[in-house]
Amino acid sequence: MRHNNIVVFTCNWDGLSCVEAAAQNRLSYPASIKLVKVSCLSRIHSGLILKAFELGADGVMLLGCQPENCLYEKNGNFSSKEYDKALGLMELLGLGTERLRLSRLPRGDGDAFIKEVEDFIGAVSKAAWCSTKS
Amino acid sequence: MTRHKQEIKDTRIHLCLDCGKCTVVCPVARYNPDFNPRLIVQRNMQHGGGNYTDEAIWSCLNCYMCLERCNYHVQFPEFIRILRTEGLTKGSRAQCSHGGVLQSTMHLMADEKVKQQRLNWLPRDIKLSEQYDTLFFVGCAPYFDIMFKDLGVNTLQGVQSALRLLNRAQITFNLLDDELCCGRDLLLQGDKEGFMSLAQANAHKFHQLGVKKIITSCPECFYALKVDYPKMLGKSVAEVVYWTEAVAPLLESGNLRLGALAKKVTYQDPCTLGRGLRIFESPRKILKAMSGLALEEMQPNRETALCCGASSWVHCGAANRQIQDERLTQAEATGAEILVTSCLKCRIHLKCAQQSRNGKKPKIEIQDLATVAAGSLDEEAD
Repeated sequence: MRHNNIVVFTCNWDGLSCVEAAAQNRLSYPASIKLVKVSCLSRIHSGLILKAFELGADGVMLLGCQPENCLYEKNGNFSSKEYDKALGLMELLGLGTERLRLSRLPRGDGDAFIKEVEDFIGAVSKAAWCSTKS
Repeated sequence: MTRHKQEIKDTRIHLCLDCGKCTVVCPVARYNPDFNPRLIVQRNMQHGGGNYTDEAIWSCLNCYMCLERCNYHVQFPEFIRILRTEGLTKGSRAQCSHGGVLQSTMHLMADEKVKQQRLNWLPRDIKLSEQYDTLFFVGCAPYFDIMFKDLGVNTLQGVQSALRLLNRAQITFNLLDDELCCGRDLLLQGDKEGFMSLAQANAHKFHQLGVKKIITSCPECFYALKVDYPKMLGKSVAEVVYWTEAVAPLLESGNLRLGALAKKVTYQDPCTLGRGLRIFESPRKILKAMSGLALEEMQPNRETALCCGASSWVHCGAANRQIQDERLTQAEATGAEILVTSCLKCRIHLKCAQQSRNGKKPKIEIQDLATVAAGSLDEEAD
C-alpha cells in the first residue's frame, strides 16, 4: 500500500505534548507523517494549508489545544476561520474536505493522538484524489 | 537576460529617454520613494543585464499609468514582468499577499488530476445554452467568494447578476464546469510557466468544444484571453467580449431596458479595462440606462483614474494602503452613495482598505456594476 503523505501542523503546547507523550509511551505512527511545529495554530492560514497540498501532501492535520486551553488565549478562533476557508477552497478544487482535519486534543494524550492520526490516514486513503506529486 | 532579448526589445525600453514622466504619474512612486520607474529602467538596462536583487520591481501595480503618459509608448509594465520572470529563476521571491493561498490555488488548478467542483453556485433561474459556441468565462469569483467572505464582497453575486443580465438580453451562453483560472495573476507576478500551463489547458478546452466567442465579466480574464493568450500561445483562442460591450448596445437600441435606481453613484475605472483595453464608456452607459441614477465622476477618472492600489496578489504594503485611501477619499468627495466598479478585485481591495482606515467609518458603499444593474431589473415586471 502506498504511504500517504500527511502533514501535521502542531501547536507547541497541548498539540505537541500529545505527540511527545506518544513517543514516551513507545507508541508508533507511520513515518509518512511530517510534523511541523508552530507556536500556535493561529499561525496557520489557508495559504500554508494549500501550499502543503501544492507540494504533494495527501492530507493536512491541524493539531492544537482544546478550546479555552490556548496558551495565547486565541481559543482557536483564528485557526477555525482559516480552516473553514481552506475547506471551502478544497471543496471547489475537488480535493475533498476529508483531506483536512482540525483536531483539538487534551494535554499529553498520546493515545488520542495515535488514534486520531490513524483514523485520519484511513479517511485520506479512501479519498479518490491522489497526491499532486506522486 | 539574453534569453529575453526579443521580449525586452518588444517593450521598446531602448527608446526610454530618461525623461521621468512615468515617475511623475506613477501612483506607487508618489508614496514609495524606492519605486521609481525611470531609475528601474536605468538600473536594469545597465551593463546589458538585469539586477536580480532589485526589490523595487515587486511594487509595480501594472496600472498602465506610465504607459498612458510615455511619449514613446514604452511598455514598462511588461518590462517589469520580464524582470520578475527573470528574478524568479534567479532565486528572487515575491511577497505573496494572503499567505500565497491564491497562488497555490492557481497551481493546484493546473494539475490534471484535480477535478474542480466549480458550478455549485449556479442559480436555477440562469438559462444555459446547450452549445458551446458562446462561453461565459466565470474566472476565480467562486474562490474569491470563499477567500474574502469576511470582507462581505460577495464576488459571485456579480457573476450571477451578469449572467441574469445576459439572459434578459437574450444573449445565449454556456459555462464550463472545469474552467481554469485565466492565469493572468501568475503571469503578472512573473510566473510564466504557471501561466502557460493554465493558458494551454484552457485553450485546449476551448478548441475541443469549438468555442467561437467568450464573454467575461472579469477585466483581468478579459485581458488575459484577449491579449495575453494570443501573445503567449501564438494564436487567438476565440473572439473575446467584455459583458458591458455586449449589453450596452442593446440598451441604446432599446432592446433591453433596465429599471430605476434613485441613487448618486460614482464609477471606478479598473486599470486593465480602462487604460489597458480602452473600455471607458460602455460601463457608464449601463449606469446611465437606469432611470433616476445620477453619475458623479471622481477626479481623476477614465484615462487618468487612480488604481485600486493592489495587483496580482503580491506585495501589498503601506504605499498600497495610501493609494487606496486616496482613491476612497476621491470617491467620498463626489458625495456619491455607491462606488460602482466592474472589477471584482477593485472591490476586494477597496473594501479591504475601507475596513482598515484607522477607525474611519465607511462613508460609501462599494458595489459591483452587474449587481447594481441587475438589482434594478427586479423592480421592473417581466
